[in-house]
Amino acid sequence: MRHVRGFDVARPLSIGMLVFMMLPLVFLPLASIFIFGTSNGLGNFWAALTAPEAIFALKLSMATSFWATLFNVLFGLFAAYVLSRYNFLGRNALIVTISLPTAIPTAVAGFALLLLWGPYGTLGRFLRPQGIQIMFTAGAIILANIFVTFPLAFGVIKPVFDTMSRSLEEASATIGATRVQTFWHVTLPSLRGAIVSGALLTFARAVGEFGSTILVSGNLAGRTQTAPLYIFAKFNEGQIEAANAIAIVLALFSFLIFSVLFFARDWLDVD
Amino acid sequence: MSSCLPQPPAESGGINITLYGFSIMKESMEKAIYPGFAAQWKRDHNQDVRFTSSFAGSETITNQILQGVSADVAILSIDRDAMRLKQSGFVTSDWHALPHNGIVNKTPFVILVKQGNPKGIHDFADLAKPGVKVVHPDPVSSGGAQWSILAIYGSELVKSEKQSGEPDRARALQMLQAIWRNVISTPGSAREARTQFETGFGDALVTYELEGMLMKEAGKPVEIVTPQATIFSEHPVVVIDRNVTAAKRPVVDAFIQYLWSDEAQKAFVKFHFYSVTNNAFNEENKAFGHIERPFTIDYFGGWSKAYPEVIEQVFKNQVQKTK
Repeated sequence: MRHVRGFDVARPLSIGMLVFMMLPLVFLPLASIFIFGTSNGLGNFWAALTAPEAIFALKLSMATSFWATLFNVLFGLFAAYVLSRYNFLGRNALIVTISLPTAIPTAVAGFALLLLWGPYGTLGRFLRPQGIQIMFTAGAIILANIFVTFPLAFGVIKPVFDTMSRSLEEASATIGATRVQTFWHVTLPSLRGAIVSGALLTFARAVGEFGSTILVSGNLAGRTQTAPLYIFAKFNEGQIEAANAIAIVLALFSFLIFSVLFFARDWLDVD
Repeated sequence: MSSCLPQPPAESGGINITLYGFSIMKESMEKAIYPGFAAQWKRDHNQDVRFTSSFAGSETITNQILQGVSADVAILSIDRDAMRLKQSGFVTSDWHALPHNGIVNKTPFVILVKQGNPKGIHDFADLAKPGVKVVHPDPVSSGGAQWSILAIYGSELVKSEKQSGEPDRARALQMLQAIWRNVISTPGSAREARTQFETGFGDALVTYELEGMLMKEAGKPVEIVTPQATIFSEHPVVVIDRNVTAAKRPVVDAFIQYLWSDEAQKAFVKFHFYSVTNNAFNEENKAFGHIERPFTIDYFGGWSKAYPEVIEQVFKNQVQKTK
């Protein structure tokens, strides 16, 4: 090593290089959303943001993402528990299948849901006579969100399960705790960090979901139009300012989520 | 669970009509037709009517309806999409039996260029010049794109027919091919294409005349070039019979009829569509360009011929494959 002491040229150079590389790839695209969204004055920006359909779209995105996150965290916990505790034939196949939705194009996910639950789909056609229709409702958006974010929480929780020391659980059992008590008081607390970060990741991904929702939701403004669909619709209509206003909200929102993830890491990662 | 989801505005006693429209219908419907009809229905029946709508490429909304979205009414760019809905059993009533063959309004196809017309584009033929970048919607999802292809191809047929008494198909094909070599992007709908053009993409855009007029109204730096010969696109309305409940039928039927009322037709003209019921209304709009040789889909023998013969045979098999 040559630069052990004194001024290390590589340091500012490499930092500068890093920022420079991120400039056209990440920083400038984000900056242009902010610049364009507010270019017609803050008054117009606020008006675009508080348009009833925009507010509805944001609320719908939050609500559907919340339910999808809740489901996927609970499912991820359960799946991680089963798959790290028990060894059985087909275990690896299940793990691979759970991870699959990350690699499937989201449009295919939406299409698959339509083919299954659509009014003329494999299962949907039997529900239709009962007056049940899932596609083109908020329920469809939740299903799509669950599908595309399926492996995220599981992926964060399972490694923690895998590496968790079982001696604590065994100790808990020897002093007479039931399985449920052990899970509740011993296993779950050590999963706290994984659950929170799994949930935030899932939520952030679900809020931004577009490809599958545009197919399954019907894209009706004020009814089944989520925030990303609203942005797309406004862009198509040539109302780029309105599209940008909501885009800014979503960008700030992701920034917030990932800041929480980053800064709360210490608090969350307690063993 | 549904109580934990945001609810659309309360539906206290009123009726909701769900309309899917092709992309450029948005302004006239939301700003004039919906409120106009709602006021009329309220006056006559003392009942509120609300509209929910989605606007996208004509083929796109047709596919959505075929997948089962709960549309009551669709206004499409092309008759072919109405045919598709009929073939799949979604539309059982005959829209051709409605007034004016089910056509609610029309608009000619024109070329939009940047202010000052820097590339010197005066007719479709100029789009084939080397170095001209053309934005053209995608005929797979957009009805407007199909009209545009028919406009370009047809204009050459009309012109050659005038010159030699015989439409020259080889010449028309050649021009379409040359123009498509200059196409730099194919957005999903006419509106999407307009947004792209508006953001500075391309030198020319072939689209509905009213798109250009709306852009000029909004102060965008564009000019409208009216071709010597071009097509009038005609837009049909259909009732999605499979989705309309018996209770809703009267209001949906009344809405359909309203589209041909003087009030609605005048509103369309205000938003730069041509009226189909009364030419005198069209005189009101001074911004309409003068077209020397207009033609319609009838020139090709209707959509049942135009689609297989021009869009499929000429465009998909000869233009797209040799591009």
